[in-house]
Amino acid sequence: MIARERRLPRWLRRGGLPIGGLALAYLILAPLTSIDAAQQAGLPLLTDKLWFRIATTVAMFVVMASAWNIIGGLTGYASFGNVAFFGLGAYTVGVLVSSRGWPFALALVVAPLVAAVFAVLVGIPLLRLRGHYFAVATLGVGVAVGEVVNNIGPLGASTGLFLPIVRSDLLFFYLMLAAAILAVVTTWVILRTRFGYGLLAIRENEEAAAVIGVNTTFYKVAAFCIAAALTGLAGGIFAQWNSFINQENVFAITNNVQMILMAVVGGAGTVLGPVAGAVVLKLIIETLAGGGSAAVYSQIGLGVLLAICVIFIPRGVIDFFGGRSRLSLRYLRQTLRETSA
Amino acid sequence: MTVGSLLQVDKLTAGFGLTPVLFDVDLELQPGELVAVIGANGAGKSTLLGALSGLVRLERGSVHFGDRRISGLRPEMIVASGLVHVPQGRRLFSTMTVQRNLLLGAYRRRDGRVQQDLQRILQYFPALADKLDRDAGTLSGGEQQMVAIGRGLMARPRLLMIDEPSLGLAPKVVDRVMEIVKTINQDGTAVLLVEQDVVLALEIANRGYVLENGRIAMSGAAADLRRDPAVRKAYLGV
Repeated sequence: MIARERRLPRWLRRGGLPIGGLALAYLILAPLTSIDAAQQAGLPLLTDKLWFRIATTVAMFVVMASAWNIIGGLTGYASFGNVAFFGLGAYTVGVLVSSRGWPFALALVVAPLVAAVFAVLVGIPLLRLRGHYFAVATLGVGVAVGEVVNNIGPLGASTGLFLPIVRSDLLFFYLMLAAAILAVVTTWVILRTRFGYGLLAIRENEEAAAVIGVNTTFYKVAAFCIAAALTGLAGGIFAQWNSFINQENVFAITNNVQMILMAVVGGAGTVLGPVAGAVVLKLIIETLAGGGSAAVYSQIGLGVLLAICVIFIPRGVIDFFGGRSRLSLRYLRQTLRETSA
Repeated sequence: MTVGSLLQVDKLTAGFGLTPVLFDVDLELQPGELVAVIGANGAGKSTLLGALSGLVRLERGSVHFGDRRISGLRPEMIVASGLVHVPQGRRLFSTMTVQRNLLLGAYRRRDGRVQQDLQRILQYFPALADKLDRDAGTLSGGEQQMVAIGRGLMARPRLLMIDEPSLGLAPKVVDRVMEIVKTINQDGTAVLLVEQDVVLALEIANRGYVLENGRIAMSGAAADLRRDPAVRKAYLGV
């Protein structure tokens, strides 16, 4: 299919399904041990509050990194404004639930739609820009939407919005996990359609894509729209989960930077790269969040590690470990040559 | 509109931004013809092909292809109608394999004969047959040009527009590429060839147009243009 895929080593191709299946089974079954009935039956408790918080956060970033991958990795348009979709999804749920009294489930259906419509509106003018210009313009959108929301009274202005608290670790974990699976499956499906080939063609060479008959404008906007809907869904779940949203926690540019890093370090343009990137980086970041001087040094170490990853394995961890030549010097030299201008 | 012509360009004015690059260009091409557009750097040759394939917006004028007006259509609709552009500088998907590049040429097609066509097209380019699994970016310049032309052919064009196939190639390789272009034309595909190598272009073409500063300065049978004193002086250096 895509050029990279057939280079997967045999152990990964053979082992991928069982390993992935086991991981998924664990994620689906382990939380069930926290149910009262399971505890009364004497099952070991595999998950606690912290487990739920971290697992839900990781799943949320899997959604964001995978969604970013659709526009940034498959289509080649590095968006620094995806966090705006997250924020819009969050605020859609926030307003509908807290001010209008809508049920959460219904509001959660509207959130991705709002983000997608916004993506169409900003995508049509911005997706004409390429490279750095697109990155800077989307960064502007990300910041601007947050600032605007921060100044609208009915949206809670700088105070933010409070939602009625729903206490259910299980519910939000499973919702986020479902969103993550949806994002991964969406990417997988896209890569097997004519649409997906069109996106890859745009990434490789947009003019060539146009001359082979790809409707570049429509495809780019569609990809942006899908990314926005998924990101908005994650934002909507986050709003109810956290029961408090403001500019700082849903429009944080650092979240946008993180989703890009996750997708790029994991392997932009691949199905599982962003998943690997999100899981590994988020776990490291959460571990380092403790504070203290050791944490500071570890953060510096993380920065250096990321720089090394981007320079030496620009096609991502997935490509590196699954690559044609494993840990060889030739691989490093070759990718370095291919990716430096 | 001339009866039976495949491509009919009337009073085409096009360009980027405020100043047009092309002014009132008239051009016509019959089915099965090989027509060359020659001219100096910056004369507007590539812009002309861009305008025909929908990549460059027209300001005025019309383009008819077959029995349809295609001016104003989006590029993918123009490709689907059978007018296919092989852009200057190959523009390959360089990190994809040669095979993937060729197959992507058939992007708009939904018939089941794409694989057959791939085999047929590889007969023009035997050199590519054992390099199908190589990344297109790793091929030599000549081979890359062949992939670009092959990718264009995969769309099953009625008219193939090739922009500067000789660009950056060794003379011997240029000869080979031109030979292939001629063979493709003899097999029934009309070709509009934009070329700086005037000698070669007029050698294989039936007719030619000379583009100067965005206007058609001269046109006629290739043999006549080759003998024309003005053309010889300006482009052949004799």
